[in-house]
Amino acid sequence: MKLLKMLPFLSTALVGLAWFGAPAHAYALQDDEAEAEDEEAEDEDESDAWYAIVGGDVYTGTGAVLRGATVLSKNGKIKEIGHDLFLPEGTEKLDARGMRVYPGLVALSASSRLTKGLFQAEPEPDFDPHLGVDNLHPDGRANAHLDTGNEEYDEVADIPTDADVLVEGQLLRQEIADSFDPFSQYLVLALSTGITTAEQSDTPVKLKRDEIKDVDMGPKNVYSLNFSLSNPNSRRQTREKLEKASDYLRRMKAWEAEGDKDKKEPSKKGVDMNYVRVLRGEVFAAFNANDREELLDIAHLAQRYRFRPVINGCMEGWTVASELGRAGAYAIVTPRTRSPKSEELVRPGGSSIENAAILHSHGVQVAVIPGNTSFELNGMTGRDLLHLPVEAGFAIRGGLDERAALDSITTIPARILGVDHRVGTLEAGKDMDAIITDGDLLHYQTFVQYTVVDGKLVYDKEEEIFFAHIRPRPELPALDPGEEPGEAEAVVDEEAPADEDAEEEAPPESEDDDEGEGADDQGAGEDDDGRL
Amino acid sequence: MKSRDPQPDLRIGALATRVAAWGVMAGLFAGCASVEAVRSSALEPSSGASHASAAPYVASLQAGETGLGIRVRKLITMDGSDRIFDPGLIVVRNGKIDYVGEPIELPAEFPLHAFDRAWATPGMVDLHSHVQTGSWADINDMVYPINTDLRVRPSVRPSNREVRVACSAGVTTLFGIPGSGTSISGFGLLYKTKTDATYDEIVLRDPGGMKSAFNFNPQRSGGDLGRSWAGLSWLTEKANDRARAEVGLGLEDPLQKDFHRVHKGELPVLIHCASAEGVAGTVRMWKGRYDTECVVSHGSWDGHLAGPYAAKMGVPVNHGPRTHNFNSMVREEKVQGGAEAYMRAGVPLFSLNTDAPVMPQEELFLQGSMSARLGADPYEMLRAVTSNPARSILVGDRVGSLEVGKDADVVISTGDPLDPRSRVELVVIDGEIQYSRERDGQWF
Amino acid sequence: MNATLSLLCSLAIASSASADLLAIRVGRAETISQGTIEHAVLLVEDGKIVMVGEDLPIERGIPTVDRPDWVVTPGLVNCYSRLGLDSAAGNMFEPQVRAADELYPLQDVYRDVLETGTTTLGLYPPGTGIPGQALAVRPRGKTLDEMLIADSVYLKIMLESSAKSKKVLREAFEKVDEHDEKVAKALEKWEKAEEKRKKDSKKKKKGDDDDKSAEKGEDDGAKDDGPKEFEPPEPDAKVQPFIELREKRLRAMMRINKAGDYLHLLDVIENEKIDWFLRIPLRNDIDLFKIAERLGEAERLVVTDPSITLMPNTRRERNIPAELARAGVHVALIPRRDSVAGHKDWLQDVGELVARGMDRQAALAAVTLEPARAMGLEERLGSLDPGKDANLVFWNGDPFAPGTKIEAVMLEGAIVHGDVR
Repeated sequence: MKLLKMLPFLSTALVGLAWFGAPAHAYALQDDEAEAEDEEAEDEDESDAWYAIVGGDVYTGTGAVLRGATVLSKNGKIKEIGHDLFLPEGTEKLDARGMRVYPGLVALSASSRLTKGLFQAEPEPDFDPHLGVDNLHPDGRANAHLDTGNEEYDEVADIPTDADVLVEGQLLRQEIADSFDPFSQYLVLALSTGITTAEQSDTPVKLKRDEIKDVDMGPKNVYSLNFSLSNPNSRRQTREKLEKASDYLRRMKAWEAEGDKDKKEPSKKGVDMNYVRVLRGEVFAAFNANDREELLDIAHLAQRYRFRPVINGCMEGWTVASELGRAGAYAIVTPRTRSPKSEELVRPGGSSIENAAILHSHGVQVAVIPGNTSFELNGMTGRDLLHLPVEAGFAIRGGLDERAALDSITTIPARILGVDHRVGTLEAGKDMDAIITDGDLLHYQTFVQYTVVDGKLVYDKEEEIFFAHIRPRPELPALDPGEEPGEAEAVVDEEAPADEDAEEEAPPESEDDDEGEGADDQGAGEDDDGRL
Repeated sequence: MKSRDPQPDLRIGALATRVAAWGVMAGLFAGCASVEAVRSSALEPSSGASHASAAPYVASLQAGETGLGIRVRKLITMDGSDRIFDPGLIVVRNGKIDYVGEPIELPAEFPLHAFDRAWATPGMVDLHSHVQTGSWADINDMVYPINTDLRVRPSVRPSNREVRVACSAGVTTLFGIPGSGTSISGFGLLYKTKTDATYDEIVLRDPGGMKSAFNFNPQRSGGDLGRSWAGLSWLTEKANDRARAEVGLGLEDPLQKDFHRVHKGELPVLIHCASAEGVAGTVRMWKGRYDTECVVSHGSWDGHLAGPYAAKMGVPVNHGPRTHNFNSMVREEKVQGGAEAYMRAGVPLFSLNTDAPVMPQEELFLQGSMSARLGADPYEMLRAVTSNPARSILVGDRVGSLEVGKDADVVISTGDPLDPRSRVELVVIDGEIQYSRERDGQWF
Repeated sequence: MNATLSLLCSLAIASSASADLLAIRVGRAETISQGTIEHAVLLVEDGKIVMVGEDLPIERGIPTVDRPDWVVTPGLVNCYSRLGLDSAAGNMFEPQVRAADELYPLQDVYRDVLETGTTTLGLYPPGTGIPGQALAVRPRGKTLDEMLIADSVYLKIMLESSAKSKKVLREAFEKVDEHDEKVAKALEKWEKAEEKRKKDSKKKKKGDDDDKSAEKGEDDGAKDDGPKEFEPPEPDAKVQPFIELREKRLRAMMRINKAGDYLHLLDVIENEKIDWFLRIPLRNDIDLFKIAERLGEAERLVVTDPSITLMPNTRRERNIPAELARAGVHVALIPRRDSVAGHKDWLQDVGELVARGMDRQAALAAVTLEPARAMGLEERLGSLDPGKDANLVFWNGDPFAPGTKIEAVMLEGAIVHGDVR
């Protein structure tokens, strides 16, 4: 409750571990601030599109919860969050009274049919963006350096230059943008889940509807390294490339320090610029790793070369959580992963439902994805991206607190994708991507009622065929004459009379209060009065 | 055995063991909360026994007796009157429930487990499970399409890893059955998910019932004879007609003994079927033609369209692992929850399954959560994983609800057992602690 | 009224002008351009319609067909067909290919399809990608020349939502830009050379007596053949069609598969000032209704199929052609199957759409005027208007009603099927 008083001014950096803010984030914030200033200076234009979500309980994702508040956006960017806001004439309003407002969710590793659609008359073209860039690079070079089958490794021919890296990234973004189906039914399903940003082949994509402009949110923010125990050759290559890149940066630094412009710039020969970017902190190094030994190796590698790893899988992470925490790792985990440790092992191992919680408690930034990252309409219920919050619920089952669980499907994946300056929380200056739910987002019965992307309503449960028939939205209470939704309520604080809701928010003797996350809903898992 | 209503058995059991229980019951019925209150999420604490004269008590443990007490914030009995105690106490004596109600004084020799923020619910029951062998192996024998004397017993691995994890998630009773590769797949075992036990210690009933497969899976290949639905149905009916005739004539065949018991109504039969015509065909054959104690299992895709027919014929439905349909077989024009549709159709006993390992055995509760998400009532979905499956398979007198005289299979969780966020703290089977999160660490 | 008066005047003139004159009196004429005319009279001369009106008096001596129980419509136009063409091709970029080069006249299918009332066919080249240009023919004649109405009526372009596909189209226009630059450079060079030549020749004239410049002048004079015509560099054969698109000498038929493709198409060509229309096959579950409004606002022409489709994942039927027409789209409908039998069923299928809510006039235009418009032949074909080709189909009832038969077909003034006497 104390956090409420700080309201939406907390930046995302404060929310997580501030000492680890992603480098890309820092630059972006500056741009953003500059932009914000420009906007202030401008006169208000009649062509501006104002959108307001009015009267809902706003869970900003920064720790603050504003009861009966309004989120106001201008041209797709959040302008203000609060009570008694002045809404300019012509503001489009969405009445969210009695409902909750959360930031749009961010889905990592989403399958390509999400944005490509499936309901197309022609068979799928041979390119699948999720497969990576194999088919894109003009001469197939982009992935050649990952080819681990070669005994003899030709270090000159296959080293990507700055230009290669640029071309590869652009082609990938182009492919994603150019194949985006803004009418895809899977897109609607994603929005029905509350997902507003999705990763397609390491690239963040904004899930816009009915339009194809500006869906590509930026270059990919991660670069995949292979450091698998099962492939000694690629391990050697990865280490070599890191060494060369590191050496190059050292030489570069020395050259710059010398300041002798006549002296030739250090040679880039044999230096893989992807690795240089990793070491410069321009992109994250991504690994697929589950095994304890691999995880330890990655942690050590990261500390030695001072980069931040994003570890996909991270199944046995809970056994080496402190090492991963020290290495500043991000982990993308599936709490329900089932893989018992080998009977031959004495050490702890295998999957654990507590993985997310243990990693989080050691400072690892945890993102959650379900085991199946597509949308299954004929599969098993509750195991795919349609149920992303359910998967986060399983992380809570393993001991993760509710705040961190919400972060694991909003801010942390946004950071991994390098778009946390735009999405992941509801804050002034960020994109107006919000979801309006009929209850606690992490409760299994809760449905997203509306989804707003860039200040436009893109999903209304009642208007789509999928879930409209389930618990139809109750009619909103009538307003007193002259009353405007979002005006009457005040910020809930400690002194406020404890109404039913407030009590639910902060159980007096909540077990997790000592974690300082009391402002967020404790949910049924921790709540004696949990529904059933 | 014909009756699926366990209440009379319960009373007799209670009377035989503990006369004191009658006093308890009298007090408790007055103080129980209704199911309506549960649904409205505004649970009033039980108002307590109004008859001071019949104050409930628990008798001391006698020499050689074992027992324990569990005190919880909320106790959901899932009994015939849907009693809920808030707070509540369960007392176990010699593996059976000795007392269920609001907290009362417990003799000192009873170890008391106090979970004053947690919920107690009956152990969950899954009727469609193949994890008795610990893996996918050894569940289908594919030579003959009709295997009326095949049993899973030899392949059972008690307390295997799948079963142990299931236990840690509150699943305490499983109907371990053969696969659906053949039309009559054999006889399954009803067993408990004890975490460290022998075969004899886990058996609830052997054989627990028969497994049949009506359409889809057996059609892929039923052996040399009968690869089609029609051919397999013909073979099944031939076997059934013969058994029925033998039962009618009073003939005994040692190799067909259990099959005869199915036709005498003494053993239930669980039938794998899906789609509307599959469900309808199953009901028509196994209820309409042979009047067996049959349970429709799966009933997926558009199977719920035959829900009203199953309801009319009084056949229980055990739904899963697919619990929703969008456009398989028919275009639903919506994401249709199977549970919601079957409940609406008025199926007498509706239950949910995982078909483990198709769905992990420990996620049985999630079938309830997701069904509730898609429109069914959460309380009814808790019933669909506890008392309803137990009654469907004719073990309602033993498991599925927390009532005096029944097996002490109790699950303590930190909240709504259907909520994935709730943790299971303690699992007791037959009065013994099988899993304790505090003691064993969190398995799931 | 004015129209009738002028018609009467022309009738008098016409009567004395030609022996080729034929008057046709029928129960009803579906003119397409002026709606339905009851008790209609048409005057045909030299293969052209010269007059259409209600109950016009016919001068004595003019041969007259009098069929009060018949309905006449313009000849049907199918702008998207491969009838009689049998080559096959895969994905390609061959915009210069002409379907005309693979035409075999004198095939039975052409005779047969004429009997279904189809008097104009747009024949397109095979293959996906950008496979070439279509031609418009009358299904009658012994040679290409006899069959040909117009060549290069449209360039077929398939576009799907993919970087590869969009890049192909984008680059095709970029090549035109490159060519234009080349031309501009060549022109500049030519202009400079021309200026120099003019200067030099002036100098030469001036300096005829000047000995000092004589030597130089001799050199120049030897080369000076007078003003040279500017000869722009020849464009590449594959660039040429796109130049023609830009110059509006050629039209583009954009073949797309789903609603999303349309936005990607606009993304590529929104700044191109070219004439284009859409071909969108109607398959089950297509989401085309999502862009009906946008297509209507832009008054696009869409060539599609007379099919009832289902809304994705539902059993809800959608009459997409009707929806498009209602939104203001120019709808052209082609037979559902590209065979003679398909052409026989054509109007029945369209009639089904009418029975389920499609505007009747729009449906009639969809098989006559709109497909003619697609091929840029709307001035010549597709409606019963003076000056247009006398392509007429005589029906014994409502063309959309089941059981209605074709009594006769007139192609450019000649009865080519049936009998009108």
